[in-house]
Amino acid sequence: MVLYPFAFNFFITFTNMNLYHIHPCAQLFGPVTPSCYTINQDLLKNFWFVITDPSFVQILQNSLVWTFSNVIPTVGLGLILAFVLNSKVRGKTIYRLFLIVPWAMPSFITLLVWKGMYNYQYGIINALLNEVGIPSVNWLGSCFNAFAAIVIANIWLGYPFMMIIFSGALQSIPQELYEAASIDGATGFTRMRHITIPLIKPTIIIALLLGSIWTFNNFNSAYLITNGGPGICTTIFITQAYNQAFSYFSFAIAGTYAFIAFVILFVPGFFWTRYTGLTRGGGQ
Amino acid sequence: MNRTRSRRSAKKMGASVLKHVFLIIMALISVYPVLWVIAIAFSAGESLGSPVLAFGLIPIPSSFTLDHFSSILSVQVVGSGFPVWVKNSALITISSVIGAVALTLPAGYAFSRRRFRGQEASMFSFLLPTMFPGVVTIIPQFLVFSTLGLVNTYYAVIIPYMVGSLSLSVFIMKSAFDSIPREIDEAAMLDGAGEFRIFSRMLLPLTLPSVATVALWAFMGSWLDWALAHVMLENNALWTLPLALYAFLQSNYSYYGSFSALALVMAVPVFVVFVVFQKYLVTGLTAGSVKG
Repeated sequence: MVLYPFAFNFFITFTNMNLYHIHPCAQLFGPVTPSCYTINQDLLKNFWFVITDPSFVQILQNSLVWTFSNVIPTVGLGLILAFVLNSKVRGKTIYRLFLIVPWAMPSFITLLVWKGMYNYQYGIINALLNEVGIPSVNWLGSCFNAFAAIVIANIWLGYPFMMIIFSGALQSIPQELYEAASIDGATGFTRMRHITIPLIKPTIIIALLLGSIWTFNNFNSAYLITNGGPGICTTIFITQAYNQAFSYFSFAIAGTYAFIAFVILFVPGFFWTRYTGLTRGGGQ
Repeated sequence: MNRTRSRRSAKKMGASVLKHVFLIIMALISVYPVLWVIAIAFSAGESLGSPVLAFGLIPIPSSFTLDHFSSILSVQVVGSGFPVWVKNSALITISSVIGAVALTLPAGYAFSRRRFRGQEASMFSFLLPTMFPGVVTIIPQFLVFSTLGLVNTYYAVIIPYMVGSLSLSVFIMKSAFDSIPREIDEAAMLDGAGEFRIFSRMLLPLTLPSVATVALWAFMGSWLDWALAHVMLENNALWTLPLALYAFLQSNYSYYGSFSALALVMAVPVFVVFVVFQKYLVTGLTAGSVKG
């Protein structure tokens, strides 16, 4: 169940599969029909096609910038909110309930609302800017603005989950540790550095890893708000793969994009889990 | 002495005010876009496209109506309607949640308590599916299920949802079991308890918060999914709520009211589940990761 889609995808990167060839393929375990697909003469043809595509470098760059500009603020914001909600504040439960709202709604609805809010003429964001005397910004019109727009919307979608994760980590730190530390005369900053940070480090590692993977493969924000545009300004690997598969019906090229995306995630992911010992057998 | 104390308490006051200001701003930002959905759902003939014209800065419906809610109840798409969608969604979600929990518990237990060949590799393999863009795996999954003759059945979505939630769930359960000292197992074993008994009577109750987290995660994955259901369930009679929602969006702009109303209806169970599980969730998600 887990491995088959990979193997299949890896395989179709060597073929010329597209919509016209796919129908006989529905017979998976039967004899392979010759008309189903043909394996390319030059095995790496699709890879060359993708890599030499003039937009490839831009898409790669977009995907990386997209990942970092989302993960760092969501994790940061999640951490800050978790810290604040973990200290003595009144009405924690109410705040927490409001703060998870972005997580609880189906994202394709709220993203459409964001799209409406970014509208140049009628959008609420420009109306608010005008109220405080800032001229309207053409949010979805220019490269930089469109990118900022989808990043902001995606951070909005992402921080509640991080907040929940970090709240859990902070609450599971035994209170005795802090008491012992205060007897030893440790105050705010020292406590933070020697108790809090080391103890929530494993959680931060999981959050950074899964956050990066999810963001890199996050389809909804970039597709629903800007649809990759203007031009290819906000096109990332996943939207490109989707367009190749379902707009141009070229499953082989889509598979190739997906495979390159996978390699980009796999290599750092592998070393990161190794280095941090995330997969090591536990227990004492 | 007195002076430093009053200065310190003033500082504390300031910090607390700052905290509240920060939390209120963040809460407002979180809720604001959703207020539009609510306003649109309750007012006649508004659209998501031109929010500012419709309501002004604060989205309050100009004309209050429940028409959109009654219209989603009465809409009929050949052979299916609201009751059918709710039934399908509920059936699929409940089965996926039960299946996901049933798969995650033994996996998490084995990764935590046993040593076996290829342990790290198989643990890592649970991360692999998340690294592969979901939209692209839909095609091979569709081919598998059509070969098995399962397209247009509940199984075609239940099985992928079940498996799909595992990547995070297995990590959660493993670290939850890790956080329980092995001495507990050993003590129980000395008292003559078998392995399954230790698992079900001692470890399971202790890790209940994490089990709740796993269940919630599976719930979110199947309740809100649209893409996979869209490919696997072509038959109207099998439609889930997200598919119906998408159909509202596709058909006509004037359906924005019904669209928002249905979205709100869909969000209600999520909030109910969250409120019920909140106590567990907060400790559940990372219980044990402290010990790594």
